[in-house]
Amino acid sequence: MKSKQRALAEGQEQDAVILRYSTEELEAVTGASEAELFSFVEYQPEEAERVGHSEYSYWKSVWKSFLKKKSAVVMLIIFLTVFVFSFIAISPLCTKYSHYSELKSSRSNKFATPDSEYWFGADNIGRDYWYQVWYATRHSVMLAAIVGVGEVLVGVVMGLLWGYVRKLDRIFTEIYNIIYSVPTIIYMTLIALMIGKTFLVMCVSLIAFNWIYTAKSIRNLVFMYRDREYNLASRCLGAKLGTILTKNILPYLISVVILRMALSIPQTIGYETTLAYLGLLDVKEPALGLLLRNSREHFINYPHLLIFPAAIVSLITVTFYLAGNAFSDAADPRNHV
Amino acid sequence: MNKNEKDAILSGRERNVILSARDVEVQFSLRGDRLTAIRGCSLDLYEGETLAIVGESGSGKSVFTKTFLGMLDANGSVTGGSILFEGEDISRFKTEKEWKRIRGGKISMVMQDPMTSLNPLKRIGVQVEESIRLHQGLSGAEAKREAIRMLDIVGIPDPERRYHQYPHEFSGGMRQRVVIAIAVACRPRILICDEPTTALDVTIQAQILDLIRRLQEQFSMTIIYITHDLGVVANVADRVAVMYAGQIVEIGTAEDVFYNAWHPYSWALLSALPQLGIKGKKLPTIDGTPPNLFNKITGDAFAPRNRRAMAIDFKVDPPFFEVSETHKAKTWLLDPRSPKVEQPASIRQLSERMNQDYGSGLKHPHQDPNRVPVITVKDLQVTFGSGRKKFVAVDKVNFEIYKGETFALVGESGSGKTTIGRAITRINPATEGEILFKGERISGKISKEVDQKVIRGIQMIFQDPLASLNERAKVEYIVSEGVRNLKMCKNSAEREELVQNALREVGLLPEFASRFPHEFSGGQRQRIGIARALIMKPEFIVADEPISALDVSIRAQVLNLLNELKGTYGLTYLFIAHDLSVVRFISDRIAVIYKGKIVELAEAEELFRHPLHPYTRALLSAIPNPDPAIERSKKLLVYDPAQHDYSEDKPVWTEILPDHFVYGNKQELNQYRGML
Repeated sequence: MKSKQRALAEGQEQDAVILRYSTEELEAVTGASEAELFSFVEYQPEEAERVGHSEYSYWKSVWKSFLKKKSAVVMLIIFLTVFVFSFIAISPLCTKYSHYSELKSSRSNKFATPDSEYWFGADNIGRDYWYQVWYATRHSVMLAAIVGVGEVLVGVVMGLLWGYVRKLDRIFTEIYNIIYSVPTIIYMTLIALMIGKTFLVMCVSLIAFNWIYTAKSIRNLVFMYRDREYNLASRCLGAKLGTILTKNILPYLISVVILRMALSIPQTIGYETTLAYLGLLDVKEPALGLLLRNSREHFINYPHLLIFPAAIVSLITVTFYLAGNAFSDAADPRNHV
Repeated sequence: MNKNEKDAILSGRERNVILSARDVEVQFSLRGDRLTAIRGCSLDLYEGETLAIVGESGSGKSVFTKTFLGMLDANGSVTGGSILFEGEDISRFKTEKEWKRIRGGKISMVMQDPMTSLNPLKRIGVQVEESIRLHQGLSGAEAKREAIRMLDIVGIPDPERRYHQYPHEFSGGMRQRVVIAIAVACRPRILICDEPTTALDVTIQAQILDLIRRLQEQFSMTIIYITHDLGVVANVADRVAVMYAGQIVEIGTAEDVFYNAWHPYSWALLSALPQLGIKGKKLPTIDGTPPNLFNKITGDAFAPRNRRAMAIDFKVDPPFFEVSETHKAKTWLLDPRSPKVEQPASIRQLSERMNQDYGSGLKHPHQDPNRVPVITVKDLQVTFGSGRKKFVAVDKVNFEIYKGETFALVGESGSGKTTIGRAITRINPATEGEILFKGERISGKISKEVDQKVIRGIQMIFQDPLASLNERAKVEYIVSEGVRNLKMCKNSAEREELVQNALREVGLLPEFASRFPHEFSGGQRQRIGIARALIMKPEFIVADEPISALDVSIRAQVLNLLNELKGTYGLTYLFIAHDLSVVRFISDRIAVIYKGKIVELAEAEELFRHPLHPYTRALLSAIPNPDPAIERSKKLLVYDPAQHDYSEDKPVWTEILPDHFVYGNKQELNQYRGML
């Protein structure tokens, strides 16, 4: 049949001779008689109106396209494993200590290298390093999660308003200029020295200075959607500002919000590490940065003090960033089937 | 090329084939799925002719011609067939190097959007010169001279000065002229024009068509013209190919296709033209939507939408049957075994249709002595920006829209027609003047109560069915949005019923409520937009170019629907459009707007018969007419606003005849009276 058709098509233009299927042939192919074939059939309007129906669900598609990226899935698994292990590692399963304060310094174990008792060795005053590293990991990740989520939440709300309400543009732009023109680390130093070095202060101040970057990128995206006709339609239908922002604009930005989150968490860990390293953080509750800071005087002779926390910091930030990036790609409906 | 040579080509006596495509099949891979965009297309292009390819969006007309230039998107490829050009099969070309021998120099292309086809950072002259250096081998002063000459040829005034300007200093029409100059400067044998006038205003479009015709004669090029506008086709084409679902279904000379079409799809296309509609009657429509090319298509792709399809149409792909030496159609209707069919009446009458009566004897709502104005616009002025950047979009506009009428507002892009519509729906605030809705002021500061009344009473239908629906919401939410916002129902069951009724009302299936907009075709999406407005039970609807983004076959559906709803619910419309011919069918009265001012307002037929203002006359002369005989002999009028001398004798808005208003000064009005 196929070859026959091709032959027909070739014949058509070249010789202007038009071949036709013979009646026998047609009957053989279709299994209907000539009279049947060449009679009118009833018109079916539903058939003409039919569209390809798909059971499209946004989140299902997001998940599906994320799972397609094997490397990202691996990254996510590594990140979760590290995070979950930070709980197991300091539980009675792996350690004899039940609280950070139980760690005792001992002169004999000073700078002990990793062995069967001290899995990660001991630090400069002979405390178990295993417990410290995992305790700090858990702490850092939780802090980063709080700051990341807080910062993105504030940033998204502010960014939507900034982008959509024209009157607010001026004010927000000035705030942005003020925050942007001075490095965050200087604000952080000032706050640590003037108000305090506790984690709470740090969380709040990190959120207070970083939301503006998320807000700015959200604002630029809102511009793309602000004047689309469907927003005008919503306004004609009496939609309030909140409805337009949450129903008409936010859904388009989900992938960006996720990306900001994925960027923000490793960034916060980075900040925390830097601050601790600079000595701007409380010593009572160790975070990974503190351990790095403590190790800086000794790591030439005792590299295990640096290697363990540094490896974990890198592992967490890199895996989370890659997984988050892939997830944000997956959340973009243009990448859905 | 002179007339005789052209006739020789058309009659087939001297068939010098310049390009010959056989069974071209093009597939795109989209995330694992394969879409067959072109399903075996064959075409012989004769030297010196203008071939128009007509079809709806998605019919593959652009994709097919892009294969001649190797410009398919990266995920698409020619998977079958051959394209012979100058003794080579160019469909086998793999590398850019091979394509560069053909592209530009031999086959060149003009794209749709003049905004994006020029580099905004380079001077116009330099861009034309580049193409000359590359393809004509000229350099230095010679190339510059040639570039200026090309600019002159495409009708750019003062080319020496314009040579040094940047694209943003050119208007849309002028930019398209530059794009054409660049394409023609390569001295191509074949020029492919992909909807070159779709983005332009009607008056500019007519000028560009003239230009292309002139250039073809001057440089003896062969032109492939891709368009969905049958009026444009009638204007430019020697031969016409009709495409549907990735195949050419009918091909013949313009006369063959316009006056003697045989494929049911060509019939449907021609008879669904709003230009040919009779007021007060339904337009013949093509229901449904084009097939999904991801699926395998058996038989004639048009069969499901064909009201008179035969059983064989669903089973076997029809071969081409010859109607005459120059005319072929791919339909089983021409098989001797099929029952005898006559072409629909509308096709046979096409040539006479244009000058016939469009329904002048009808009673229009504004002629009723007890007419009630629904909308009154008094001295409306809308300005954007402030200070030195102030721009007056709408300048002291006055009109009334009476209950039950369709009031059309026609003008070019930037004339302020949309702004008026948006001022009425309170999206753009009125700077001065006032707007009354049933006698109540709705412009400026109004109480919450009146605001709610406006939301319920005045609704809007938008131009772009893609942009006007929220892609991330289900149809159910989109349609019920107004009801939710105004809390018009008690519970979700009641709301669901309202939504389903609204969907049924616009001819969609109630089960569509749970789907997302991207699953629908343009026409269906536009109907969702209408359902969303309708659910509020409005009295007045602002329809902002509701059909200009739609395909020809779908326009008729939407126009019929709007007319039907008007009858059922006693609606009043403000119909905004840029095309007078479409508006003639649907409207009772037409207002013509130019640069923020309404220059003429009259009953539709009256305006077509006795246009007074020179701008109205220019607009009317530019309308593309879907009839080759009329279109080829038409005379284009050009409007120049400088012809008015308003320095002493100030213009006024005058009712020159009952219900016929025109804008002009004393001297002009006397002149207009003389024309009546």
